[in-house]
Amino acid sequence: MDYKYIEQLLERYWQCETTLQEENILRSFFSQEDVPVWLLKYKSLFDATAQKEQPLGEEFDKRILAMTEQQKTVKARTISMTQRLMPLFKAAAVIAIILTLGNAAQAPWEWGYEDPKAAMEAMKADSIIMEEPVQAENLTDTAQVMAPTLQKY
Amino acid sequence: MKIISFQNDILPLKNELYRLALRITLDHAEAEDVVQETMIKVWNRREQWAKIESIEAYCLTICRNLALDKTRRMGRQDESLSEEIHETADHSYASNPEEHAMQQDRIKLIRNLVDSLPEKQRTVMLLRETEGKTYKEIAEIMDITEEQVKVNLFRARQNLKQKYIEADKHGL
Repeated sequence: MDYKYIEQLLERYWQCETTLQEENILRSFFSQEDVPVWLLKYKSLFDATAQKEQPLGEEFDKRILAMTEQQKTVKARTISMTQRLMPLFKAAAVIAIILTLGNAAQAPWEWGYEDPKAAMEAMKADSIIMEEPVQAENLTDTAQVMAPTLQKY
Repeated sequence: MKIISFQNDILPLKNELYRLALRITLDHAEAEDVVQETMIKVWNRREQWAKIESIEAYCLTICRNLALDKTRRMGRQDESLSEEIHETADHSYASNPEEHAMQQDRIKLIRNLVDSLPEKQRTVMLLRETEGKTYKEIAEIMDITEEQVKVNLFRARQNLKQKYIEADKHGL
């Protein structure tokens, strides 16, 4: 077999005069098994530079995609008017519930005493009954008014 | 106007970027970091993708610059490199009588020889020999003239040939 052509290519390769195609020819020539002995020393040179490591696997893809995906969702999210005002709606709903419950809770007192004065007196009477005797002595005015109640004690 | 998809056009460049970063940083973990930073940087500039002529060259340029920054920050690498060369040389004629193993050792040796070249020469070499890029593409990626690409490639090939023949003589 004639290796003139290869030798010629090789010579031009060292001078950087070969095209990419010619370099590919050289590389495929040296990648085969039966390279003549006197050219064998160059085989590893071409083999070494032709090897392409593929070290980054799917794990790397996932990590990068996760990093870019996060930014994407923040960037691309469209918000409708209803979604935008959602916090406001929620706040309004909470206030409405509080008001309703407040009104409902007040209702029993309103029903209990039609006349505010009666309600007031009843409350005072309650509080005095709850008071200790020492304090009740100081409240003479009230004690006289409330005499029938106090005499029990 | 072409539409560039990150997942289909840019992410598959990862191994090519990795090989470039590795030749510059000479460190696997650093190279992976560089590729990750490159991806994020390219992603953050996605508004400009439509204007870019070759996204591949663009990514490679960013990757190279980041890798160079990193090596500058790390300081010089020569010591760890020469150690590696001695190690491989020892293995190459101590343990393996088989032809295949010899071949593998030679490839390792050459890789180390390539790594011992100046950065420009080994980058040009990688882009030309492994990635099969034209002079014009390499010039664009490295931001130098085509003439300089040729000069660097010429020196790289001559250096490598010389060092290899020398190492081979000593080894056999």
